[in-house]
Amino acid sequence: MIPFVAKRLWNGLLTLAALASLTFFIMRLAPGGPFSRNRKISPEVQANIEAAFHLDEPVVRQFARYIWGLMRGDLGPSTRFRDYSVNDLIASGLPTSLTIGFWAILVAGLVGIALGLAGALRRNGWTDYAAGTIGVIGIAIPIFIIGPLMQAYFSVYLGWLPVGGWNEGWRSLVLPVLVLALPNIAYISRLTRSSLIESQRENHVRTARAKGIGPTRVLWGHVMTGALLPVIAYLGPACAALITGSILIETVFALPGIGRFFVDAALNRDYPLVMGITLVYGGFLIVFNILTDLVRGWLDPRVRHGT
Amino acid sequence: MAPDLAAPRSTLSLQAARFAGNRLAVVSVYVLLAIVALCFLGPYAFPFTGQDADFDNISAPMNLWSAHPFGTDDYGRDLLVRVLEGGQVSLAIGFLGALTAGVIGVLYGAMSGFVGGRTDSLLMRTVEVLYGFPYVILVILLSLLFGGGTVALFVAIVFTLWLTPAVIVRAQAQSLARREFVEAARAGGMTGWQIVVQHIVPNTVSLVIVYGSLLVPEVILSESFLSFLGIGIKEPQASWGNLIQSGTAQMDTDLRLLLLPGGLLALVLFCLNFIADGLRDAFDPNER
Amino acid sequence: MACETPLTQMNANLLSLRDLSVHFAHRGGQTTVVDRVSLDLAAGQVLGIVGESGSGKSQLLFSLMGLLAGNGRASGRALFEGVDLLSLPPKALDRLRGASLSMIFQDPMTSLNPYTRIGDQLAEGLIHHQAVPRAQALAEAVRMLDRVRIPDAARAARRYPHEFSGGMRQRVMIAMALLVKPKLLLADEPTTALDVTIQAQVLDLMSEIASETGTAILFVTHDLGVVARICDRVAVLYGGRIMEDGPAETMLTSPAHPYARGLLATTPRMDDALTPRLPTIAGTPRSGGAMLPSCPFAPRCGARLPACDTMPPLRPFGPERRLACHLQGET
Repeated sequence: MIPFVAKRLWNGLLTLAALASLTFFIMRLAPGGPFSRNRKISPEVQANIEAAFHLDEPVVRQFARYIWGLMRGDLGPSTRFRDYSVNDLIASGLPTSLTIGFWAILVAGLVGIALGLAGALRRNGWTDYAAGTIGVIGIAIPIFIIGPLMQAYFSVYLGWLPVGGWNEGWRSLVLPVLVLALPNIAYISRLTRSSLIESQRENHVRTARAKGIGPTRVLWGHVMTGALLPVIAYLGPACAALITGSILIETVFALPGIGRFFVDAALNRDYPLVMGITLVYGGFLIVFNILTDLVRGWLDPRVRHGT
Repeated sequence: MAPDLAAPRSTLSLQAARFAGNRLAVVSVYVLLAIVALCFLGPYAFPFTGQDADFDNISAPMNLWSAHPFGTDDYGRDLLVRVLEGGQVSLAIGFLGALTAGVIGVLYGAMSGFVGGRTDSLLMRTVEVLYGFPYVILVILLSLLFGGGTVALFVAIVFTLWLTPAVIVRAQAQSLARREFVEAARAGGMTGWQIVVQHIVPNTVSLVIVYGSLLVPEVILSESFLSFLGIGIKEPQASWGNLIQSGTAQMDTDLRLLLLPGGLLALVLFCLNFIADGLRDAFDPNER
Repeated sequence: MACETPLTQMNANLLSLRDLSVHFAHRGGQTTVVDRVSLDLAAGQVLGIVGESGSGKSQLLFSLMGLLAGNGRASGRALFEGVDLLSLPPKALDRLRGASLSMIFQDPMTSLNPYTRIGDQLAEGLIHHQAVPRAQALAEAVRMLDRVRIPDAARAARRYPHEFSGGMRQRVMIAMALLVKPKLLLADEPTTALDVTIQAQVLDLMSEIASETGTAILFVTHDLGVVARICDRVAVLYGGRIMEDGPAETMLTSPAHPYARGLLATTPRMDDALTPRLPTIAGTPRSGGAMLPSCPFAPRCGARLPACDTMPPLRPFGPERRLACHLQGET
């Protein structure tokens, strides 16, 4: 088990390093700089600003400086919000993003698995059709269409919930969480349904039924593990993606999370902020991937033994 | 298992028959073809393009019998023509993007799977690292790198989406290479290249078609998502993504601006998903 | 059609099949894979059912265990100690399955749960059916694993299936099936997936333990060598119907049905090393489709008569033998 975890951690670190470097060079190579918009500033001021952000140094130096900062956990200053460091901005936006992501994954996981189970155990029953319909809608209609429509109906027309913003406690949470959860409910319920049906057809499940231990014990003792493994394999990256998915949600609902900062920073070429948030996302993805592997290894001895 | 009783038929005709038996998928094909035809031919029926402003009819409401059947936007541009032109961009990027990503992925995966050994582990390690990247972030960064606009968007999407077909094809190629009939072919004196052409490729085709059909909606979704955020295709060029975005901005006064492009996009995605489902069931009946 | 053949000592048997048929529903209608099979099996006896793949022999076993696929249906009667297994409600069937009735499956590689330790999989049945405490059930499982000659049984019980070879896994399956000391063991080609050298060991082990526990075996196979090794009686199945049955010795030395003779002729023999080429039965086995009124073997039969357009009844033929063939008068 220890080499298993160590290998995953090493791979994760490798990925993170690659991500950091790639982001750095992409941002340096991309046309336009953080200050190229301000046409009026004099060359001296421009030079001063560039010196302040070390943009006048050779790229290799800048890269070394950046990596050195990273190792100390310092993501540098933001070029757009001059008085803030990237660490400050992330610290202020992350709680919002995590709150929404957490509730969305909770709702999506519970509802998705429940619908998938209901569908698989009572095939062609009404729950199966309901889950199928939600699945198709959730997969085919993108967040940025459903979101505005829900705003139009629940907020503008009915006036029940705020259109956006982050000032009304749980009421601000409802629509973003719902909209973010919907496509994931769709994926998870479909996946649960199909993998449960597949698992029920396994030969070893037939062996279990032949033991006469009753349908309940067959289901929980022999069908479920195999059925949940693909779902868990999906859930891990999905957890990370939900935080990523919040880019759209935060834009649609005008929420002050890191997703919105990211889009803002990308459009305004705020290199340090873009890189900082990229690394946060990458870090989450890696952590969740490792967690997924751990859970899979715990459930499936073949994964654990590396065969 | 009940024995398969159907009279022996070629696999392909059997699969075609199975697909034709899926009514939802067949209807989706027709609807999709109709939308494609409408988007690419429809604008010719109008004497103006989607970028021509009609200053006498700014923000004209919907009136099916007027010169602007679905009205105009706040610049006086015809909404229907804009949506159809936007559809051209979205659909073209969708199909070309899926095709390109699919071809790159298949070549990469097949190479990795056949050559094996060091090359394989190097190629797959690369894919693994790229898989570790957050997808949305990577697309955004890449489209910034290539300077924004349609081409940049296209390259960014293809660059991030070829990974899945590569992994799938590699796994299939590897397992095929170990199968008895390939061994039999090898024992029978076929060269590696003959085996690849006659046994391996035909056996990955169905897999590629199924996953390729899933790639198309993914590419379209990515395009509209980026354009919605203002990173992809920019005004005045229309795409479904940026039309939806400007529709959202005015939705409390005029839902039409959101519903027309949004509805069309959703319809296309519905169709593509049903078609992908139909293809999967036709090629791999054990899935259900 | 009523019961075709009166069988002797109706009530003394552990298992009596009467007109057992298995059908599968599908889009084009219904396929019959087992057609009105009547057989008897006495306690402690070993009955072999021989047939080519597709002859319906596995489905026959599945129907007894209530394991038919969703579109499968069994009709007729299958009396196990006087109780009809086919009409038993699921709960009552579960009290028999894995207790007095157990089964060994064909494919040892996939028939064990990959996520659970071997010992727990073995103990599960004891704990459930006999309310044995877990620790004791595990100890008995270890004893049984040792009995099927799995090296270092105590440690093996804590391993997972993927850590064992195919032969070892099939020993585990045998241990699992016999641990509950069933009255009847259904074995579905348990040695087909194994190497020939291991086949013999596994077979001997199985019949050895079964005779100790007094377990009767219904043994399905396509391999006459296997039949010769362990069976008391043999029934030959073709196209879902019994062609011939009788004591193993006479069946193997003087089969009467053209199909049974063909089957024997195609079996390699050690004393026949000079035979240049193994004979084959011409044609391909019938698989499913609507049941025809003719003898299912007629299209491939070398001794075909005009009368073969109707299915011959299964009639007594010599001591304790039955035969379904129009030729039987002539032979």
